[in-house]
Amino acid sequence: MSKEMKVLTEKDLQQVTSRQKVTKVVSQVLLYLFLCTMALIIIFPFYWMIISSLKDLAEYRLSTPTLFPREIHWYNYVKAFQKAELLNLFKNTLIVGIVSTILSLIITIITAFAFARLEFKGKNALFAALLATMMIPGELFTITNFITITKLGWYKSDDPIKGYAVLIVPFLVSVFYIYLLRQNFLQIPNELYLAAKVDGTSDFKYLCKVMIPLSLPTLISITILKMMGSWNSYVWPRLVAHKDFYLITNGLRSAFTDAGSGEADIPVQMAAVAVVSAPLFLVFIFLRKYIMKGVSRSGIKG
Amino acid sequence: MKKILAVLLLVAMCVASLTFIGCEDKHKTTTEAPTTEADINTKPVEYAVPENGYDGSEVTITFSHTMNAEYQKVLDKYIKEFNKLYPKITIEHAQVGGYDEVRDQIKTELTAGNQPNIAYCYPDHVALYNVAKAVVPLNSFIDSQIEVTDANGNKTILGLTEEQKADFITAFYEEGAVFDKAGTMYTLPMSKSTEVIYYNKDFFTKHNLTVPTTWEEMKALCKKIKEIDPNCIPLGYDSEANWFITMCEQYGSDYTSAEKGKYFLFNNDTNKAFVKEFRSWYEAGYLTTQELYGGYTSGLFTELSGKRSYMSIGSTGGAIHQRPAADDDGYAFDVGIAPIPQVNPEAGKAISQGPSLCIFDNPNKQEVVASWLFVEFLTTNKEFQAAFSMTSGYMPVIKSVDQVDAYKNFLAGANGGSNIQALAVKVAREMSDLYFVSPAFNGSSLARDKVGALMQYCFVQQTSNVDAMIDEAFKNAVKACYDGQ
Amino acid sequence: MVDSKHQWKAWLYLLPAIILLLVFTVWPIINTVRMSFTVYWDETDVAGYDENGMPLTDENGKVLWGRYKGYSIAEELGGEREFEFGLNNFKEVVKTDGFWQIMKNTVILCILTVPISTFLALLIAVCLNAIRPLRRLLQTIFFLPYVTNSIAIGMVFAAMFNIVGVNPSNLDQSTSLGIINAVLGWFGADPINWINQGSTYGANIAVMVIYIVWNALPFKILILLGGLQSVNKQYYDAAKVDSTPKWRVFTRVTVPLLSPMIAYVVITGFIGGFKEYTSIVGIFGEKMQPPGASVGVPRLQTMVGYIYDNLGNAEGIASAAAIILFALIFVVTLINLWVSKKKTHY
Repeated sequence: MSKEMKVLTEKDLQQVTSRQKVTKVVSQVLLYLFLCTMALIIIFPFYWMIISSLKDLAEYRLSTPTLFPREIHWYNYVKAFQKAELLNLFKNTLIVGIVSTILSLIITIITAFAFARLEFKGKNALFAALLATMMIPGELFTITNFITITKLGWYKSDDPIKGYAVLIVPFLVSVFYIYLLRQNFLQIPNELYLAAKVDGTSDFKYLCKVMIPLSLPTLISITILKMMGSWNSYVWPRLVAHKDFYLITNGLRSAFTDAGSGEADIPVQMAAVAVVSAPLFLVFIFLRKYIMKGVSRSGIKG
Repeated sequence: MKKILAVLLLVAMCVASLTFIGCEDKHKTTTEAPTTEADINTKPVEYAVPENGYDGSEVTITFSHTMNAEYQKVLDKYIKEFNKLYPKITIEHAQVGGYDEVRDQIKTELTAGNQPNIAYCYPDHVALYNVAKAVVPLNSFIDSQIEVTDANGNKTILGLTEEQKADFITAFYEEGAVFDKAGTMYTLPMSKSTEVIYYNKDFFTKHNLTVPTTWEEMKALCKKIKEIDPNCIPLGYDSEANWFITMCEQYGSDYTSAEKGKYFLFNNDTNKAFVKEFRSWYEAGYLTTQELYGGYTSGLFTELSGKRSYMSIGSTGGAIHQRPAADDDGYAFDVGIAPIPQVNPEAGKAISQGPSLCIFDNPNKQEVVASWLFVEFLTTNKEFQAAFSMTSGYMPVIKSVDQVDAYKNFLAGANGGSNIQALAVKVAREMSDLYFVSPAFNGSSLARDKVGALMQYCFVQQTSNVDAMIDEAFKNAVKACYDGQ
Repeated sequence: MVDSKHQWKAWLYLLPAIILLLVFTVWPIINTVRMSFTVYWDETDVAGYDENGMPLTDENGKVLWGRYKGYSIAEELGGEREFEFGLNNFKEVVKTDGFWQIMKNTVILCILTVPISTFLALLIAVCLNAIRPLRRLLQTIFFLPYVTNSIAIGMVFAAMFNIVGVNPSNLDQSTSLGIINAVLGWFGADPINWINQGSTYGANIAVMVIYIVWNALPFKILILLGGLQSVNKQYYDAAKVDSTPKWRVFTRVTVPLLSPMIAYVVITGFIGGFKEYTSIVGIFGEKMQPPGASVGVPRLQTMVGYIYDNLGNAEGIASAAAIILFALIFVVTLINLWVSKKKTHY
């Protein structure tokens, strides 16, 4: 093709450019068409969730589904709150989410700091060992952790402290977050640290005054991912938590599959799903940058 | 780094697999049938009851059950009564969830030794707990002549008096002794239910229909109802598993046995035949079940228009769910209750279900004795048994409830509307000759699950060769039972 | 630099993490391996069963007694078992009928979802990279499925595919066919029983593939788009001068340049595929199948589901299954790495 180019006249070139322009417009239209179709497909389940939650059962059961409710019914939301005891589930999820995020952040920070800045024997070997555990699927831990928390007397305990502890403690340390933060800490120039040492600043003070503020974006990403984690966790609470301390996902699924509920009232179910999804969306809209950064970083450096 | 790790892991795996190839099985199978304690014992297993019985010490007893808030009110009231007799025994109780949840939770709690003192149980649960030898055999308590003094100064024996023993409905009492050949008692019955057929009385009267007593009549009836209302599903049967087990019992065909090596016997021609028959009913649109309908079939029975059913076979314990919604003129239709259809009405069979109570062993023997006192109280106190039956719709396990005036009035007021529980209890009590329980062994709940799944499977499979499909399904179900054991 | 005071301090910083890791990560690894290789000989049980469910016998028709069983906590508590080292748990896992069903499910789901989602994500990422207006908005929309709860949205998908009042032999008698069937109907297609009783395995898998792809797209798009944006513009400029056709640019420039990211999303996709569980629960519930689809292992059972099923009952089997899962993921990842090393251009 490049060979042909050499013998093209100026006129030909003009033709080529106008033709290129046409193809460019056409291809842009096609691009948008494709992207918008895909976007519609992606967004459709959300749309269906919301409009189904606003229909009454009779309309939902129509043989030709309506794409917009003929009459908007908010009472599905009222029913959803009663049926799935959403308030209590929200409370549990918030408590577990907040407490575990705070504790996990503290542990992650001090551990990452030790690995990034402090010198001790066997540091690299230990860090490698930590990274190695990341390769093992979590299901392998579940079996023994299940036994361990039973032996601790935390299994389905109705005592609030034990009831929450069982959902928090086993997941406090995330090697991945430690890794993420350590990389961030390492990027902070060593000179700063040495200068602080000369000034007689203690390690701890340096950590709080310099390193944490400088790695705030990473910490925010970690916070959000951790919160999302407790929002989405299903299996572990289902296995070990007392019914009073179920998290949102458990309540959601079990409230609507319990025998005795009769034929599933899908509009109410969709209302509950919408309520559960809303906080995540809000967080996403406001903190989009951090979430996407956190997720993509986990990608590129993993 | 990761590369090195990967290599190390691979090496470790190779070494490991090499060692395995080199190791041989230590044991060999034999044709000599083994004997276990439970097989050779001719006397019930004994339990060392403390010599002085209950010594009046302060103990806290935990009790796991499935009672809802309403039932718990009754329980709380009678715990107060119990505490008038034994003020130093504190009873803490909690609803764990359904029966399966109670079982799963206790199974796990046993591993940590923090099991409750008393629990709601079904026979197969006890078989499961007994793998860990956790359940207290009750014979030594039942027969104990040790004297105990209550807070009022009354002296009674720790065990059951002859009068108390005779007061139990025999079939229910004997359920406690199905676990070994010697007949060791591991449970006392708490409250019982059976399956009955709920029918839409108004509809039956209007169309001049009679309640079927045999399955043949049922089939004819379904056909008739389907002609009257082509949009309906005439019959809903809640529990697929109960249905299968009941049919085995009614036909006298094998289901399971508690004998080692012969646990799962339900793969036989009689059973295949009835499954095939009911499959044709399902295909004709005559019936549905809980799983296939996607909820208790009472939901379908209480519908007033559109897709609905006119008969529903379910537990007497769930009577209030079989009642349609009420408006100003009362309930939308009158519900009738009758015994379930039979293969042979002369030798009818109906399943007996509902919780029993078992006691878990504990290092503190006083806790065990106190638990026994409470279990004895719950199962032999006629006021409690009557009150609990009136609230729950379950049957009392003792006959003396009939002496309680409130209970007499309760039964006298039985109807298919506001007092539907009373009607259910009444019908269920008239069926007491029909009751059966299936063998309990570690794995019997698995058989239950599998025959339930088997019914569903055989109903919904689309195939041109029904017999081959059913053959295959039965084989797979038996296999799944052994695999899961 | 390294003095003992510093050493001591460093370990203090590490202490909480180390304790927690020892209890909840290191010990579980050791214990899982231990339980998976622990068996006992049960002489009071028959040696096995034939396919009709009758006990195995010797040539004289006498029942054979005794067989190995896997570790279980309840048996350990019973206190009368002599545990020994053995491979029976692994044999047991592989021997169950269910194992092959599980493998089939896993392989089918991986083989369908990973290529479809990777290809779609690549296409979307390239298109997103080629537009200016609306890019941020579209990017946000494409990321939405990531911030959802896979069980919750699974329930939405189930509702979309669900047939109300299903009658397997005649779908037209059902109350409502669901929105997906309605949309298909507009194009003149016959309704399909997707997830209700009497539905086929193929239909179930189709729903799972659609859901998993939908769920997996955001992460893949994000990674690939990030990759595209960091690609040196020079390559494209060179292609522009050559006026190479778009498709050529895509296959000859874009894909090779993105190959590390593609390899990454493929590997994580496979790992995710082997650990599929909650998305199936979301759609089919914890029964992991439409009602009545199977009498044995649930039709859509996965390895993770199998592990949880055995937990609290046969811990030895569960552990063996967990180790098999790990080994499978490990091998598949190695294969992926090996392939990508041959194909990627760093």
